[in-house]
Amino acid sequence: MNNMKKHNQLYILIALLSCLSFNARAQATKNDLVLNLSYYNNNNQSQYVMVHAKSKIDGKFQQIPGIDVRFYITSDSSSANLLGKAITNEKGEAFVLIPPSAKDEWNKSANQSFIAVAQASKLYDETKTNVDIVKAKLQIDTSADKVITAKLLALNDTVWLPVTGVDVKVAVKRLDGNLNVNETETYTTDSTGTVTAEYKRDSLPGDAKGILTLIATIEDNDVYGNLTVEKAVPWGATFQNTSVFDKRTLFARRGHSPIWLELMAYSIILAVWLVIFYLIMQFIKIKKLGRLAD
Amino acid sequence: MKINDTSRREFITSGLLASLAIAGCSTKENPFAPDENDLVQPSGEKVKLLSVDGEIIEVDKAFLKPVPDLPTVSNEAARIGIKGKKFVMVIDLSRCKSLKKCQTACNHMHHIHPDQNWIKVYAMQDADHTAPYWQPTTCMHCDEPPCVKVCPVDATFKRQDGIVLIDSDRCIGCRFCMAACPYSTRVFNWEDPGLSKEIADKPYSCETSVPQKTGTVGKCDFCPDMVRQGSLPHCVSACPNGVFMFGDMNEDTVSNGPETFRFSDLIRDKAGYRLMEDLGTKPSVYYLPPVNRNFPFENKEEEGTEKINPKS
Amino acid sequence: MENLTSQKITEDLLPQEFGKQGKIWVAFLLVLCAIGAYAYYRQLSEGLVVTSMRDYASWGIYISNFVFFVAISLVGSLITAVLRLTNVHWSTPLTRIAEIIAVSAITFASLIIIVDMGRPERFYNLFLHGRLQSPIIWDVIVITTYFFISILLLYFPLLPDFQILLRFKEKTGKSLNKLYSFLGSFWKNTPAQIKISDKAINILSITIIPVAFSIHTVTSWLFATTYRPGWDSTNFGAYFISGAFLVGAGGVIVAMYIFRTHYKLEKYITNEHFDKMGKILVLLALLYLYFNVNEFLVPAFKMKKSEEEHLVGLFTGEFAPVFWFAITTAMIIPILILLFKKGRKPLPAFIAGILVVVGSWFKRYLIVTPTLLHPFLPMHDVPQNYMHYFPSWEEWAIAIGSLAGALLVITFFARIFPIIPIHETIIENEQHEKA
Repeated sequence: MNNMKKHNQLYILIALLSCLSFNARAQATKNDLVLNLSYYNNNNQSQYVMVHAKSKIDGKFQQIPGIDVRFYITSDSSSANLLGKAITNEKGEAFVLIPPSAKDEWNKSANQSFIAVAQASKLYDETKTNVDIVKAKLQIDTSADKVITAKLLALNDTVWLPVTGVDVKVAVKRLDGNLNVNETETYTTDSTGTVTAEYKRDSLPGDAKGILTLIATIEDNDVYGNLTVEKAVPWGATFQNTSVFDKRTLFARRGHSPIWLELMAYSIILAVWLVIFYLIMQFIKIKKLGRLAD
Repeated sequence: MKINDTSRREFITSGLLASLAIAGCSTKENPFAPDENDLVQPSGEKVKLLSVDGEIIEVDKAFLKPVPDLPTVSNEAARIGIKGKKFVMVIDLSRCKSLKKCQTACNHMHHIHPDQNWIKVYAMQDADHTAPYWQPTTCMHCDEPPCVKVCPVDATFKRQDGIVLIDSDRCIGCRFCMAACPYSTRVFNWEDPGLSKEIADKPYSCETSVPQKTGTVGKCDFCPDMVRQGSLPHCVSACPNGVFMFGDMNEDTVSNGPETFRFSDLIRDKAGYRLMEDLGTKPSVYYLPPVNRNFPFENKEEEGTEKINPKS
Repeated sequence: MENLTSQKITEDLLPQEFGKQGKIWVAFLLVLCAIGAYAYYRQLSEGLVVTSMRDYASWGIYISNFVFFVAISLVGSLITAVLRLTNVHWSTPLTRIAEIIAVSAITFASLIIIVDMGRPERFYNLFLHGRLQSPIIWDVIVITTYFFISILLLYFPLLPDFQILLRFKEKTGKSLNKLYSFLGSFWKNTPAQIKISDKAINILSITIIPVAFSIHTVTSWLFATTYRPGWDSTNFGAYFISGAFLVGAGGVIVAMYIFRTHYKLEKYITNEHFDKMGKILVLLALLYLYFNVNEFLVPAFKMKKSEEEHLVGLFTGEFAPVFWFAITTAMIIPILILLFKKGRKPLPAFIAGILVVVGSWFKRYLIVTPTLLHPFLPMHDVPQNYMHYFPSWEEWAIAIGSLAGALLVITFFARIFPIIPIHETIIENEQHEKA
């Protein structure tokens, strides 16, 4: 009997333990969500913050779409500081533009904090992340001998001062990537906050007037975030569209077949069908003659 | 506070209006130079933003990118294509180790029948004593496409930006295009491709090639929907080795995301070539030969060893 | 055709009701058609997945059957037009057989091509969105044209026969009488009518020849306009036409024999007819053999890498049994039989005709499928069953059903209309006696 009791206790203990471990497992099914928040400033005009959501699924990080994210300016996530809400897309990205309503908060200081809060869902707990930046401006200028200068200025209390030692890329803006203006990948700003790059992409096609868009970028800087600035210059070769889209070819669309083909085809069809219609007329004539004979 | 009139005009004249737009990430800005772009026109609707200087500025809504849900283009627009573009792909064989991430991403994004692939990765060996290599193939988007020549109903067509697409709402399923294509790139939906209701109920778009429909032909479409969003085709962004590069020949630039090259330099320096040049199809896909490879050729697949008999 | 009165001729050649044999034959064909129709119903509901065609062998026996039908339909122009224009009178009893084979074959060629389509309900797109650049559109145009010309060439010579048929109301029955009256009661055999009709038949005989050449040349271009090994040939148009004349002439000999024995037409379809058709068949078989030598010897001599796999597959590989079977049965054996006078007697000629038709059907299969299974890039990244092709039961059922359907059309035509032109036979008999 004693033995039995001992066993019973053991069973209860096992049952309890398994319950606990089951609970633990149930909680573990809520995966950790990893948020990355970045600040973007394009042309010192439009600014936005973007969050990138990912999570480890089957041992691999995957982008998580459909996460409801709220963005706040400053470290205080009160509704007064709400910049906006967004839901992550297929790439796990969501962003908000910094709206005019944030003007007072923005103008308070040279440093700025942003926070992103992913709302709790069935799969994930509420997750927070933040990014701190120092307000900065990137400027671009060119000289007649195709030399490009880009200058980085940061706000120090109320004055914009040059920043040394930041990596800047100088490139030509293209369809799905920026093509460096020469073989150098990145430049570092000197004591005047400036980088100087020589344009060496001779005869690179621009638009119809030969206009190219130069772009200087700072990517993922810990202090200043992501900055870009652009300038249009007439340094490109003029682009002439040589599409054969409207030409008459064998591979063109309906109604654009080569003239020789249309001539041949239609004249043959016409000739043969004229004969057929002539014969049908003859047939009708035979019919009429038959009726007359009656 | 509004941006003053003079500086605004400067922006327009210098063709910089679109640069006010917001891009998905810093390396992928607005995909089109403004005056060549017939697809994004100013909407007249302004959005107010806060500048770095703490001033309030206005931007036309049409130029805000990425637009969370781009409207799918009309069938007419999808048939004409993007003005002033000539899309081109470069496949660097020296970087390919047959990971097939391109294939997986492509199949997933286009909801292809599980038996089929639009991208194939061939184990090639041109002759007994020549070196084996991996050769991924997409649709070649030929400039003189034999498949388009033979289509009786304009269901497959060549656009002004060089892309060859299929209108599955028009295709009669005669499969002449499949016989005509020397690159074996086309597949046919012999049965229902097994789509979820949500996907199957979508209206078909030539640019997304989704949903695939029973009794019609499908193939690689160069992902013009991604291009419109300023992104790269799925295979390009899925490849961890940067094998695929995509771009606009009219800009003389191709990119695999992290790296961007001048197309003409790349083809010249690495002796790029196209497949079956002698057929005169003029493909839009260029190959860089498998020299100075990043990986040795290791054929672990059982099926891949069975038949290596290519022509290039 | 000696010492026959026109009354005897008319009685002999009037359409006859189906006997027991005829009824069994019709029932048999109807069953085959019904099975084919059921198979097509399955294909419509499940998709083309019920066939064995896949991405590499994307065309199968539907297309080879289509080519076969187009080929056999060419005989209409050969027997009717070519022989008529060259003033060969012995062919008169064969013209209608040839023409109904042509009409029925070209009808089923169009039907089978719709069966092959993945989206048959979109057939109207060919007219709504047709591109003149596509050889398929050319094919649609020439096949429609050929169909109408063949119908006219069948109809005009029938007109005098209607007048005769209308005289035998009790024999033919009421409903048929109505049909004859609708189709030809206006024919009074007046000199003016005869003059117009003769002229029309002459014009048709001239017109049908280039159109017939077009249907099969364009059909060959469906293949020859691609790059594929085995199809990429400038010889293809002539190769197809010569093959088409061969199978068509073979088909006519088979039909001649069956009609002759079944309807007891020995006086009209004589041994001499078999002898002459046998000679034509030998000539055509030799011609087709010549084009085959051209088609295979020349690329085999060079053995280009792209062609090699295809040719080796045909000569000694996977397709060798079918290849040599087709060459032997469609050409070699018929030539050996028909070269001898004894071989041109009705029965051996009939056997030779059957061999030609069967061999030619398999020849069409060899033209379509092996090429598709030897693409430029190796077959890769597909399931195992994509790399081979053997038709599924649905494909066989539909193909056989379509052949049965074509035979059914011919059978019913012979039931309703005189399969040998009565009026022309009487006229020629009179001329013969005068001479």
